[in-house]
Amino acid sequence: MTIIEVKNLSKKFRVKVKENGLKGSLKSIFKPKYKVVEAVKNISFEVEKGEIIAFIGPNGAGKSTTIKMMTSILYPDQGSVRVLGFDPVKDRKKLSYEIGTVFGQKEQLWTHLTPYDNFKFFGAIYDIPEAACEKRIDELAMLFELDDFINTPVRNLSLGQRIRCEIVASLIHEPKVLFLDEPTIGLDPVVKENIRVLIKRMNKEFKTTIFLTSHDVGDIEKLCKRVIIINDGQIVLDDSMENLKYHYLNKKIVEAKMKEKVNLDDEDGITILKDKGYNLKIEVDTTKRSVADAIKLLNPDNIIDINISNVPLEDIIRNIYQKKD
Amino acid sequence: MKKYWFIINMQIMSNLQYIFNIIFGFIGYFIMLFILFNLWQYLYSDPSELINGYSLLQMTWYVVITEILWSTLSGSKFCKKICNDVKSGNITYNINKPYSYIGYSLSTHLGDISVRLLVYTILGMLTGLLFLGSFPSLSLVSVLIVILTSIMALVIQTLFMIAIGLLSFFIEDANPFYWVYSKVILVLGTIFPIEYFPGILQTILRFSPVYVVSYGPAKLFVDFSWDAAFSIILAQIIYFVIAYLLCFAIYRKGVKRINVNGG
Repeated sequence: MTIIEVKNLSKKFRVKVKENGLKGSLKSIFKPKYKVVEAVKNISFEVEKGEIIAFIGPNGAGKSTTIKMMTSILYPDQGSVRVLGFDPVKDRKKLSYEIGTVFGQKEQLWTHLTPYDNFKFFGAIYDIPEAACEKRIDELAMLFELDDFINTPVRNLSLGQRIRCEIVASLIHEPKVLFLDEPTIGLDPVVKENIRVLIKRMNKEFKTTIFLTSHDVGDIEKLCKRVIIINDGQIVLDDSMENLKYHYLNKKIVEAKMKEKVNLDDEDGITILKDKGYNLKIEVDTTKRSVADAIKLLNPDNIIDINISNVPLEDIIRNIYQKKD
Repeated sequence: MKKYWFIINMQIMSNLQYIFNIIFGFIGYFIMLFILFNLWQYLYSDPSELINGYSLLQMTWYVVITEILWSTLSGSKFCKKICNDVKSGNITYNINKPYSYIGYSLSTHLGDISVRLLVYTILGMLTGLLFLGSFPSLSLVSVLIVILTSIMALVIQTLFMIAIGLLSFFIEDANPFYWVYSKVILVLGTIFPIEYFPGILQTILRFSPVYVVSYGPAKLFVDFSWDAAFSIILAQIIYFVIAYLLCFAIYRKGVKRINVNGG
């Protein structure tokens, strides 16, 4: 069953431009100039019920603009959006009862109050009867492990705890679709992992459809079965996670600081990206050689420090374009 | 309506954490009142003398009430908040919730000022008693009407501030508009009653917001009459509708212009 249907969606912004210096400032008072930025260009996709879908792209790609058009915040210039059969522009209020939103960069909780009071507040604005609301809070507090801090004012919580509460607040009214806009931004790797586990658990427990935007490849690798990559306002890839992994996420970057110089050359499955004697950066193609193998080549006793990471999203996008060409 | 009542309660709960700030804030009010009381005492050579229809007792109590309304409102902070909500795009995060932004803002501000209103009313009345030794003659019903019109005055003021703040959709900074509005209310309705101004200005003021947001409740407190009460309540209802429709029209037109880049 299709839950979200986006057809030929476009959005333009008018941004004021000003010439440099005092002269430019004076000029812009009398003759303001604008330039048009095309944030989203003619995109189309569908999301099925119960899916966790990743909508990823670098900063400024149009992720947030798209999510805001799906959640009644922005008006599309062209094209159409249907979420649960509702038009976000015309049925804003009806839709708001059916969806939940979390914007990682914005707080929606009242910081002087405790998470519990905040949840009660969200229960009230979504017209949930008091007893049902309390039951739901208990259920979610258990699922998201909030018991230790549910009565601590939000301003005293760590970022990770706060994000957990933000997600719970957006789930109080049992939304059918949850939009998560960069929920793991600014979190450390351990907390990120913890949030991902909780999101997955929630999807399993409540069958909530999750639309997730992120520029962290790790988020999607762990959570999603399907990925849409957006860049410069256009969809560059809409594919299963398996295919993406097979084609693009099969490479790891290994950065190592060595005790002694190592003489290593490009060989099957290993590409030297940077070799500054004691500092080495290599790319390992995991379809040909395991990361453990590559480390063995470096000699583990010789390593002072090591960092293994995914290929940056920007490189994956570049790769996709190259393959298309 | 229940959800807006909940928002007011949440804001009161949040604000109770700053109760001492509110009490300390009263010092400014006290100084202002002390200066005005001494000024009027100097101007009135005899306490029974009437200037523009007001005795010393009435004139001072008039200022006690208008200053309570003025100080409680904390308008510039609230108007700045609305402007910032619009300019920073924060307003967008209220749009997809099942409440109206105008209702939400009105409720948060009423919640915000209710603790202050209570504290300032109690301390303001005590200050008035300290300076003057007695209240103007009032019945219980008239006290209730003064309370009702005072609350209506604060609601209307809040709606006007929301309307001014929402102008930020169309102009870079709406704060200067609030500055002009607030100075008009301060000079033409808070420090002096309408009767102190020349004839033509008096007529204009009787049809202006000054009449409903400042003059009205204070006039009823110092010189209650049913005629005045009906005309003030009627004017308040008309102004409430005007202010709400104004907010609604600006919001509806403005929300389509929202530009949120990034974030």
